[in-house]
Amino acid sequence: MGRIFLEHLGGLKLFNCAQCQTNLTNRSQLISTRFTGATGRAYLFKRVVNLTFSAIQERVMLTGRHMVRDVMCKSCGAKLGWMYEFATEETQKYKEGRVILEYALIHEAEGFPSEAGGASH
Amino acid sequence: MQNTSALSSSAGGTGPGASDGSGSAVELPSGTDHVTNEGGGVGAGGDGVADDGVPASSGHSNSTTNGHDVKHNGFAANNNGSNNSCAVDGENNRENTSGYSGVHLDKSNQEIIRLIGQYLHDVGLEKSVKTLMVESNCYLEHPSATKFREHVLIGDWIKADADLKVTIADVTGLLVLVRFSIFFSQDLEPLIDNGKSSTITEMKFILLEQKYLEHLDDGNPLDALHVLRSELTPLQHNILRVHQLSSYMMCSTNHDLYQRAKWEGKGIASRALVMERLQTFMPPSVMMSPRRLRTLLQQAVELQSQNCPCHDMAWETNLQTVSLLTDHCCTTDGFPMQTIQVLTDHCDEVWFCKFSPDGLKLATGSKDSTVIIWDVDPYKLTLKHRRVLDGQAQLNVSFVSWSPDSKLILVGGTEDSHELFIWNVDDGKLVVKFSQSLEDSLACGTFSRDGNHFVCGGQKGQLYLCDLNGTVIDSWEGVRVNSVAFRADNKTILAADNHYRIRGYNFDSPRSDFDILRESHPIMTFSINSADRLALLNVSNQGLHLWDIEDKCLLRRFQGIRQSNFAIHSCFGGVNESFVASGSEDKVVYIWHLKREEPLAKLAGHTKTVNCVSWNPVYPSLLASASDDATVRIWGPKPTGSSATTESDDCSSSSSSSSWNMT
Repeated sequence: MGRIFLEHLGGLKLFNCAQCQTNLTNRSQLISTRFTGATGRAYLFKRVVNLTFSAIQERVMLTGRHMVRDVMCKSCGAKLGWMYEFATEETQKYKEGRVILEYALIHEAEGFPSEAGGASH
Repeated sequence: MQNTSALSSSAGGTGPGASDGSGSAVELPSGTDHVTNEGGGVGAGGDGVADDGVPASSGHSNSTTNGHDVKHNGFAANNNGSNNSCAVDGENNRENTSGYSGVHLDKSNQEIIRLIGQYLHDVGLEKSVKTLMVESNCYLEHPSATKFREHVLIGDWIKADADLKVTIADVTGLLVLVRFSIFFSQDLEPLIDNGKSSTITEMKFILLEQKYLEHLDDGNPLDALHVLRSELTPLQHNILRVHQLSSYMMCSTNHDLYQRAKWEGKGIASRALVMERLQTFMPPSVMMSPRRLRTLLQQAVELQSQNCPCHDMAWETNLQTVSLLTDHCCTTDGFPMQTIQVLTDHCDEVWFCKFSPDGLKLATGSKDSTVIIWDVDPYKLTLKHRRVLDGQAQLNVSFVSWSPDSKLILVGGTEDSHELFIWNVDDGKLVVKFSQSLEDSLACGTFSRDGNHFVCGGQKGQLYLCDLNGTVIDSWEGVRVNSVAFRADNKTILAADNHYRIRGYNFDSPRSDFDILRESHPIMTFSINSADRLALLNVSNQGLHLWDIEDKCLLRRFQGIRQSNFAIHSCFGGVNESFVASGSEDKVVYIWHLKREEPLAKLAGHTKTVNCVSWNPVYPSLLASASDDATVRIWGPKPTGSSATTESDDCSSSSSSSSWNMT
């Protein structure tokens, strides 16, 4: 397997994998908290790191037909949510490329102010 | 007069001259004797020409090395001759040429002969030059050009100026001649335009400039003023420069003059420079640039060393150090290109390997929580198991750093570990177990280059500077680091952070931190070369990048390796650190020359991801690689005798010489 290389987005409010505490994203990447997943409440994020992706699959959701991939933690492999690859409804296009993390599977943590600006992601 | 008659006879007598000519070619030795006698005086020129067997062109070649009169006459004579042929046809001339020497030389051959001639002249083989020119019917350079050069070099400005007129006149007139006698026509066409007044003025100007400066140098301001007023100014050329020149009048000392004019002072050196400037206006068919053959050969050597796959930059390649008889190619004999040993003592993925600074030990760190120290036999090029350091239970060893005296190692794990260990490799004892807080993540660390400190850090926001007792001397808040290194000043710490940057941190008061570089993708690991100038970065999904950390610029993107998920390590190495190597997720070890982006070798043998490579810093024919296949491979030169080890036989199918993929 090698030593898995993990990124860290930094930021003041962090979201980590609930199982292994690997950093996934932070508050500044949060788009919406009004989603629902298999375990209940789910958040939509702009950018999430340290993920592996499943094969693409078609899923019909409340908001229409979508092509999605399940996302897993790169470090421990726990399933965390899904990523929108393609939305058929025009009104749902904004979700393409974004990631849903189920709130029950992630853990909020405190970060610290980072100096000299962040990376231009 | 005598000359002309001799010439007309030779020009007229081409027909019979054919047999004569070949005769003279055979009788070269005596001919050469003749020339030597001649060498003494100008008067002897009559001799040379009087010798009916010798064609006009030989008079010409004599002229290049002999007295001026002969030269000029010889040339004029030749001119005559070709005027004749010109009147008839180019064809005729070709017959002429073949009549003299029995060989017909095309343009490139003639140029080669001239290069050889110039070279022979430079090394003082004057007799050979003459013989060569006679036999080949070529000329070294235009005789008035030779005369011009001589006059410039002795500082005879009046004659030089006169020469210039003649030369230009000759050159323009010469074109007609040259066109037929040397088949140069297209090349010289543009020269006619160049021969126009502006060029001549420029050349004159350069001459007068030197003349003026030399007068000043001699302390003859009056003469200098005369040059300025009645020679330079009337040219109406480069007025600005004239003003500048006039300001040099005010120089109080010669030294002041040299400095302000950026001039070397009166003498052969500055005149040679003047000559080189003037030479740029002369077509090469008239006057070759100095040491032309050497220049060409040097270019060839440079090109060869640029293309040399294993080029070792420790020694300079130039005409003195390489043989011209074969193409330059650095030997691959000592190069690590074959598996010479496979170390199978680890029982899980091996994530790290590092040779000690003295080159006599290798440390390998594995996911199996052990570090193994190996002894290197630098003569047999074999490694022997020395001891296992397994006191760091549950720690998947992700890095090892050697102290500069090769006695201590710093061992650390992955992001979820908060402990570091310092071991004494001689007695196998734990020196320090370092832990600051259970919340810490310490996934990288290194000794300072003087061995008095170590630095460690991780992605949870620690960066500690510690002494060898494990006491934190200082720490830096608010940074998440993946990889750290010390610079040679032992004060500046470089760290790759989570914002894809490498930044410098200096703990001296006042503390300072500054950006060194930024990538567009995460920097997984990096290393600094021993000269403290280059940084080698394994960039996630991007490959291996070489940066200059002084100039802060990306120098090269080495091609080939695959890395996306795993922290891969690379290193500098080889003689004079002229090479870099890296592990890769495609199971091979890549080696590049520092100057080239394409890999020079791919070493195959591992069956899984190669996590780390280390080049022995003292014995550059040893390279170690650590892999997920739980082995460490030692790469070395091809065995010379039959002493191939059994291990290398094991893997001979995959690591035979064919794995040395020259690309």
